[in-house]
Amino acid sequence: MSLRSSPARLCLCVLLILAAPLAQAAREYLQVFVTAPYLELHTGPGRGYPVFYVVEREASVDVIKRYTDWFKVRTERGVEGWVSQKDMLGTALADGTPFHFNFGDRAGFSAHRFEVGIFPYGDYGGASAFSAYGAVALVPNLQLEVSVAEFLGTVANGTTADIGLTHIFLPERRFSPFVMIGTGIVYTQPKVTLVQPSDTTDQSAFVGAGFRFYLTRRLFLRGEYKNHMVFTKRNENEQVDEWKFGIAFFL
Amino acid sequence: MEIRYCVLLVAAAASLGGCASLRHLFGGGAPQAQEQANAPGGSGAAASSSSQSSGGASQGSDADNPPRVIQPEVERRQVTVPKIRSQDIEVGGYFGTLNIEDFGAHPVYGVQAAYHVSEDFFFQAEAGRSKGGLTSFEVLSNIQLLTDSERWFKYYDLSVGYNLLPGEVFLGRNYALISSFYVLAGVGASQFGGDQKFTVNFGAGYKILPADWIALHVAVEDRVYNSDVIGVDKLASNLEAHIGLTFFF
Repeated sequence: MSLRSSPARLCLCVLLILAAPLAQAAREYLQVFVTAPYLELHTGPGRGYPVFYVVEREASVDVIKRYTDWFKVRTERGVEGWVSQKDMLGTALADGTPFHFNFGDRAGFSAHRFEVGIFPYGDYGGASAFSAYGAVALVPNLQLEVSVAEFLGTVANGTTADIGLTHIFLPERRFSPFVMIGTGIVYTQPKVTLVQPSDTTDQSAFVGAGFRFYLTRRLFLRGEYKNHMVFTKRNENEQVDEWKFGIAFFL
Repeated sequence: MEIRYCVLLVAAAASLGGCASLRHLFGGGAPQAQEQANAPGGSGAAASSSSQSSGGASQGSDADNPPRVIQPEVERRQVTVPKIRSQDIEVGGYFGTLNIEDFGAHPVYGVQAAYHVSEDFFFQAEAGRSKGGLTSFEVLSNIQLLTDSERWFKYYDLSVGYNLLPGEVFLGRNYALISSFYVLAGVGASQFGGDQKFTVNFGAGYKILPADWIALHVAVEDRVYNSDVIGVDKLASNLEAHIGLTFFF
């Protein structure tokens, strides 16, 4: 039996020897080295979860994944735990350069690539409205925004979709005002009982202004006012005021 | 016979004369010396002997042609740094019971998606549907207030959640599962009785993560809006309880 299994064992050993350099060359996870006196591993991704393991200086850990402000790492001995992003600042890459990552702090608020937010409170021409928006920053001062809103009133329900440019003054400040301009469409469903008019879809243009206020981590408050000019199919256009206030985060 | 061997050897020698490796055997050493002279740091003696042997024309050509720099054939190693995978997005579905005010409690199902901004806060969107039954008036009078299609209760909402009590659940002495009790509140729209209403939702839930990428939810939410379906304006409260399964991406 041992003679029969010898060729198989030999083949397995050869395969392992051949595969070892390949596995070492293409690492699946990022390897970082502890430069701080020690690195604490928590049992879960939160400040309340207890520390159960400590990695010593100059030892390495593999970064498996990230969940919000926490990194899941695996030590050389195979122990897995969660490290806060604050503690990860005490690590370096294999070439000795510091480990950089998106920290999500006040500096990120001043200059970020994407932001998303919701406006739970809103008023669109007297109707209750709620909306959500997404923005991509072209430069820290200028961003392209897309927003979708739904207004529900006693006279009409409807949906609006806008796209526009937003210029932010003083993006490095905690409180930064902005102005906006853009265009969009308005879908309106009138609510009457006697004569049922048809639903309408009209193009609109808007100008607006607002502010954003940094709260903490990646969160900030945002409030804005938009003045919509709806190009109706009637003889005169319609002007609609929209106010909204909400919370947003940046990526 | 010997003549044949001689012819064969002469033919072989003539054909091998073109081979670069054998060229110097037949007096082809001059190019090799030229290469040595052109090489930076090459032998100066070799260069001078070569130029002397080839005469003055050769000296002029050396002055016109600058020494050739050897291009190092070193392939740079492409170091690819592995990307860190983020799992801040949670997507899944749920199933439960929705009590539509005046129209009874009925099964509800829906989908939900959340983005976790920090360990505390998350943004969540939900969309679900249920079908209302008959009011007590309809049962007693046999009069239908709503059509069959108008009895579908469809809703969606955008909420902000807060992980109020994060913790761990221990299964025996070897397993500890991450858990969290959370609260959330938001706004949305509810479509019922042929009309769509602005709706405020709030609730609480409890989730357990059997692994880092999957979560089991139990949640209770209330959806409140102004209703006039039965002819009287009132604040309709629609309580919902559901269990859900979500996955982290």
